Amino acid sequence: MQANRNALKVAVIAVLTAVVVVFTMIVRIPTAKGYLNLCDVAIMFIAFTFGPWSAFIAAGLGTALADLISGYAQWAPISFVVHGLEGLLVALIVMKKGDEPVSIFRKALAAVVCVATVSLGYFALSALFISTVSVAAAELPGNIAQSAVGFALGLAVSAAVKRAYPPVSSLAW
Amino acid sequence: MTTNTFVAGTGWLYRFDPRAKLLLMVLMCVWFFLPVSLIELSTVVILVVLVGLYNAGWKLVVRTFLSILPMLIFMVIFSPFNVRTGSPLIQIKSFTLITEQGLEQALRLMSRFIGITYVCTLLFATTPMHEVMLALRWYRLPYRASLVVTLAFTYIPFISDSFSQISESHRLREADDETKKRFFTRLKDLLPTLTSALVVALRSIPNLAMSLELRGFGLENRRTSFHDLSSYPYTFTHFVVSCMIPLALWFGRSIF
Repeated sequence: MQANRNALKVAVIAVLTAVVVVFTMIVRIPTAKGYLNLCDVAIMFIAFTFGPWSAFIAAGLGTALADLISGYAQWAPISFVVHGLEGLLVALIVMKKGDEPVSIFRKALAAVVCVATVSLGYFALSALFISTVSVAAAELPGNIAQSAVGFALGLAVSAAVKRAYPPVSSLAW
Repeated sequence: MTTNTFVAGTGWLYRFDPRAKLLLMVLMCVWFFLPVSLIELSTVVILVVLVGLYNAGWKLVVRTFLSILPMLIFMVIFSPFNVRTGSPLIQIKSFTLITEQGLEQALRLMSRFIGITYVCTLLFATTPMHEVMLALRWYRLPYRASLVVTLAFTYIPFISDSFSQISESHRLREADDETKKRFFTRLKDLLPTLTSALVVALRSIPNLAMSLELRGFGLENRRTSFHDLSSYPYTFTHFVVSCMIPLALWFGRSIF
């Protein structure tokens, strides 16, 4: 029985990691300054539906793999830490206790934590290891916009998927 | 969607043991942070680029450079203004625009960034992904972690194709021109597509879990592997070379 559960865990993480990679690389919305990718949508969906550990591993691994595949290998460790942490923290905040729905306050807090983790995480780690404070600061608006849009869409997608495919709750661990 | 980072070639880097190559990548990344002069740093970066040119070809070198070009432009624009100390280089009346130290720091950051990028890119361009996974398992990466990565790589094309098909069929049902829509309308229209793509992906999870069980996942027996790294006979020599290269670059700096 434990082996069955372990196989399910591996399957869940593998497919969710692939989902994060696809959302990061394939789905792009053109903006005035370039592109927004939807990795945060996938991460929020996983955090709201699958819980903290799935969110941490799938978000971190998925974004790091997307960086490796796209030729931005130097960003992979930073993406792993920042997005992994983003998924973990949001999932911990919105984790359900019993059947009660997640309150608006917790959702708002999760949104703030999501935007803060992505923007400040990339800012700090990029300034420390890759560029300078001023270069990293120039990327702040883009990261804030991307994570805010990602959170809003992720929340909506999470509710829609739960309605369209109810067995999804049985896959969470 | 292409998930393969490997570029076919016959250079010496292709014959280098992946385990030693991983170590070399880490050591070189550390090397770029050592206190060396700008000329020494730039020389090593040029050497790394030349190694890439010889092994993986000019196409990869150019493609990699183009991928980091926006970041380099940001560095050129913003970094020099960040450092206000040192002798002034460009002055507008009494206001110092760029100092010598500022310019040096910008060039140092750019060199380091280019160096790290090429070192990382060369590892994945000259090593097939399954050999990278085998090398990581040799470094004691847990079997489950490598299985997750391998399965994820298998599922990326499937989910990507599903997403493209769903996206196309949703677009066919719409009369409006996609490009004329406002940003928020486009985001809203994306919801059904994302939901459908996620449902398709989630439906594959029970099947994958079942096939893992059928193949004996979770049993106590020791795992066997069809692929191994025995085709690299000079592992020890390659490890020694991996350690020697950064050391030689450090102690040979006086030549530069």
